[in-house]
Amino acid sequence: MDTTVYVPTDRTGAQPDRDRTTPDVPAARARTLSKVYGAGGSAVRALDAVDVDFAAGAFTAIMGPSGSGKSTLMHLLAGLDTATSGSAYLGTTETTRLGDAELTRLRRDRIGFVFQSFNLLPMFTAEQNILLPLELAGSRVDAEVREWFDTLVTTLGLGGRLTHRPAELSGGQQQRVAIARALIARPEVVFADEPTGNLDSRAGAEVLSFLRRSVRELGRTVIMVTHDPTAAAYADRVVLLADGRIAGDIVDPTPESVLAGLDALRSLEAPVQGTPQRDGVTR
Amino acid sequence: MLRLTLAQMRRSLGRLTAAGVAIAIGTAFVAATLIAGAVITRTSYDAVAASYADADLVVTSDDSVSAATVEALAQGDAVAAVDGRLSTWVELSNGSRRTVQQLVPVASDPRLDAQRVVDGRSPDEAGEIALPPAVAERLGVGIGDTLTAHVGQWADDAPGAPADGAAADGAASDPGVDPGVDPEAGPRWVERTEELTVVGVVQDPYGAYAQSGGAGVLTRAELEQWAGDQAVDGGDLTYDSAVVALADGADVEAARAALGEAVPADATVRTKDEQAQVMTAELTDGADVFTVIVLCFAAVALLVAALVISNTFQVLIAQRTRTLALLRCVGADRRQLRGSVLLEATLLGLAASLAGLLLGTGAAQAALWALGRMSLEVPLPATVSITPAVVLVPLLVGTLVTVLASFAPARAATRVAPLAALRPADAPAVTQRRNRPRLVLSVLLTVGGFALLAIAAVFGRSLGDLLGPLVGVLGGALSFVGVVVGSVFWLPRVVGACGRLVGRGGASARLAAANTVRNPRRTAATSTALLIGVTLVTMMSTGAASARVTLSDELDRQFPVDVELADGGAEQDGAAPLVGPALLSTVRAVDGVELVTTVAQGPVLVTATDGATGSVTASAIEPADATALLRTPSMVTGLSPDTVVVAQSLAQDLGLSDGDTVSVSGTETDPSTGAETAAGDAVQRTVVVTELPGGVALTPTTFSALTVPDAQDVAWARLADGADPSRVVPAIQDAVSDTAVMVTGAAVERALFEGIIDTLLAVVVGLLAVAVVIALIGVANTLSLSVLERRRESATLRVIGLSRSQLRGTLAIEGVLIAGVGAVLGIGLGVVYGWAGAVTVLGVVGDVSLEMPWGDLALVLAVALAAGLLASVLPARSAARTSPVAALAVD
Repeated sequence: MDTTVYVPTDRTGAQPDRDRTTPDVPAARARTLSKVYGAGGSAVRALDAVDVDFAAGAFTAIMGPSGSGKSTLMHLLAGLDTATSGSAYLGTTETTRLGDAELTRLRRDRIGFVFQSFNLLPMFTAEQNILLPLELAGSRVDAEVREWFDTLVTTLGLGGRLTHRPAELSGGQQQRVAIARALIARPEVVFADEPTGNLDSRAGAEVLSFLRRSVRELGRTVIMVTHDPTAAAYADRVVLLADGRIAGDIVDPTPESVLAGLDALRSLEAPVQGTPQRDGVTR
Repeated sequence: MLRLTLAQMRRSLGRLTAAGVAIAIGTAFVAATLIAGAVITRTSYDAVAASYADADLVVTSDDSVSAATVEALAQGDAVAAVDGRLSTWVELSNGSRRTVQQLVPVASDPRLDAQRVVDGRSPDEAGEIALPPAVAERLGVGIGDTLTAHVGQWADDAPGAPADGAAADGAASDPGVDPGVDPEAGPRWVERTEELTVVGVVQDPYGAYAQSGGAGVLTRAELEQWAGDQAVDGGDLTYDSAVVALADGADVEAARAALGEAVPADATVRTKDEQAQVMTAELTDGADVFTVIVLCFAAVALLVAALVISNTFQVLIAQRTRTLALLRCVGADRRQLRGSVLLEATLLGLAASLAGLLLGTGAAQAALWALGRMSLEVPLPATVSITPAVVLVPLLVGTLVTVLASFAPARAATRVAPLAALRPADAPAVTQRRNRPRLVLSVLLTVGGFALLAIAAVFGRSLGDLLGPLVGVLGGALSFVGVVVGSVFWLPRVVGACGRLVGRGGASARLAAANTVRNPRRTAATSTALLIGVTLVTMMSTGAASARVTLSDELDRQFPVDVELADGGAEQDGAAPLVGPALLSTVRAVDGVELVTTVAQGPVLVTATDGATGSVTASAIEPADATALLRTPSMVTGLSPDTVVVAQSLAQDLGLSDGDTVSVSGTETDPSTGAETAAGDAVQRTVVVTELPGGVALTPTTFSALTVPDAQDVAWARLADGADPSRVVPAIQDAVSDTAVMVTGAAVERALFEGIIDTLLAVVVGLLAVAVVIALIGVANTLSLSVLERRRESATLRVIGLSRSQLRGTLAIEGVLIAGVGAVLGIGLGVVYGWAGAVTVLGVVGDVSLEMPWGDLALVLAVALAAGLLASVLPARSAARTSPVAALAVD
């Protein structure tokens, strides 16, 4: 059973759903979250007692070198994988304690995903792909949903492409369809996994702008995993990971500040101070 | 390349196993069929060979072997013993026990004796006999007892009327001819009795006289005497053949050459084995036909297996696109890739065929064991005989089918561009190319075939008994090939349309529907594999149902009632008539008999106003009873005390029509002239002509007004509507078996032919079921391949909110869609073919009723749908196990 107090929101279009995630409760958080792959001598500690909060209504990037545990962190937060110890929360729901059926409902109703390789269903049109999560949940497409759908389509500039199949769309267009799909059910959090990894820089910039607009204008919460400092600079905040631990935190990043932070990780192999901008550093 | 091929096979082991099972089943079918054929042949061979015992040489002739030839043989060098072979059938009795038994002479040399004395001794002198144990038991005699032989003989005056059956080979002269019945004047058949003492018990361990359950043995002199007496022409004694035992150490070939010189030109000397082979070839024509027919079903199974194999390889190639492209990048040429695929198919084919061969042999051996326990009359070999053909044919056929089925996929492998290695691997997109020649071929075959079928159905009767069905079969085969060849063009559309219908049922259904049309060729091949089996099963079942009803209707027309019981015994003065209240209550008590009543029958003379007369059988029955009793009550419409119902045939003969008046009277036959004259008073009645099968029907009132000296009561019974004649009729026969009552009627005939139809149908459907099972393996295979291909897609769906059970549901619906469409189309086609076949074949019998065997069709559909569902279980389990994280993986 879903243990959260889940209050249906007034779906008034572009307004942030304040009552879903109040400013006091982070959209997602990890508490001494650990993940160990394998056992015995060959065991790999992918996440090591991570504590981190992700604010609602913000665009947060998780960065780190390969093998730093950034993807694992996202999988655990999104309830895609099981933790070895510790807990992860989505709003007030402890996702690490849910079973498969509850996690499925959680993903359906409260989480959206954007993938590196788009993962659209090739046999469906753009519109069918966007509406698929609602269909899986068995919800009806009523006027209110239609209005939200139109808002998304307009914002993402997909108006002329709705009847096309993925094969007939460019990479950037496919990823925008994927973003619309991730947002259609008005999830509390959208997880994006290297959303620009398969795109050229122009299409990538477009996609990142859309993600940022969905936070600023549509009031969504986005958590993005990336290894591209330029992409990370679109975020409100960057969480740096190294060797399965939080290694830094940069608020209002710029490409330069992110690069500097990453360089510091590589050279010092120790927690770094994010380049202080205004509010500065947490660790 | 070999190492690479093997490595790839290891990686795809699961896939290949599933495909291999399909081939293995088909091959097992072929192997078991061949073995069964071989067993039949060998059983015949053994029986023939056994009758020659340990003879070295066998002498036969086109006609028969004369006593002189046997004499000549006996003079030959190195000849130890010669026996002319003959046998005769004689009736043996002991008190009231009697049996007609085949008798053979004592062999002059133990090597020429096919039977063994197990108790007592062989007859030494006239008046002695040795018997097989079963015969001794039947007659109730033991060693030392006497019995009576009834030896027939043609009286000397004028022999030569009937042909005797002894012209064939002498292992059995024809027991069916009973010379005593010959009604012609002239040669007279007289019987004398001879007393025989039982001196021994002989056994027939090798089945030399299996048809007669072993032969009785007499001294040669006595047997030749009796055989000569019973022979028609009474001329010189001849033998069916002669068997020769050579002296120890004699050279068989030399003796054979020498004896060949000694015998007349039309006689042939063969070794025992050669002779047995010649005989077996003659005897087993039927077995060969059986083998060929069953092999046709095996071919259907293999065709279906080929579709499954082809499918599997196509998907394997698609899965390996990247590997293949990589190989191209590092220098493999097209020929090598094609070679690799064909090599893989060959290895798979060999392995699967070998498994199939073992499976088939095992099944055949198990069947032999089972049959052996049932102690049949015919001695069966204890183990199957593994001839080179039994081993090689299934292996070759299985491998060849697999390799042929992999040709198209091998071509696809060569088309993989080296560039594909550099592209991200996504679900392999199989582009559907428009294959115009295939489309044209398919349309031509389909249209032409159905045209031929229509011709056969409409004009079948004028085409003749042979040409009509031939045209029909040709048309059916051509059109079916056309349908199967063209299935790739239209089947996916049908699946798509069905999918759209199903798709309204929710997200899982819509996903499933969309998935089925993603790879039209594969869906088509999978569905077609099932369609083939279902079509053939439905065709048989529809044809059988139509045949059943058509023949039933025809029988109802020929026989007025379901069951008629009449006194079939010889007339016994003073005895109470067999048909009476006791019989009625006996029959009425039989479960499934609805109504039984007595009907008086007797010969009457019908005279028209113009004086034309006809002598027919009249049946007296109350109109109410008749309506309840007859299957076709319209036969007696208009029957009343004032009327007489007349069959159309009689009405034609006498020029009668409805409303005419005739006079009816009983008849008397003048014993000296045989002429029939009216007896007693005639009554005037109005004619009603109906489709009564023959004679006239009147009311008992009318009948009692006549003087019918030979009137006899019969009982007419009607079975309850739901009753199964094949069960009720034997029950009636059992109930009256202690009296000489004859049971006839439509239900009796119906029980007979329904038994035949049902048995045939069961056998054919059983054979076709193999093809259906293979097709279902194909459905499971296709589904699990789809699951593999769509791993990431399934994971994506899981991430965006598809639950595990929804994912399983998606696959279940996909399986049901593929299987269901194949089954429904197969049923539709099968009904058409079944009807066409029924019209073509049964048109000769009468008006054909086209029946839908709804129960059978529903069963076929239910089995197909359930199997489609079942086929999705394993793939769905593996799909549901996929972690959603896989969606995020980038490979």
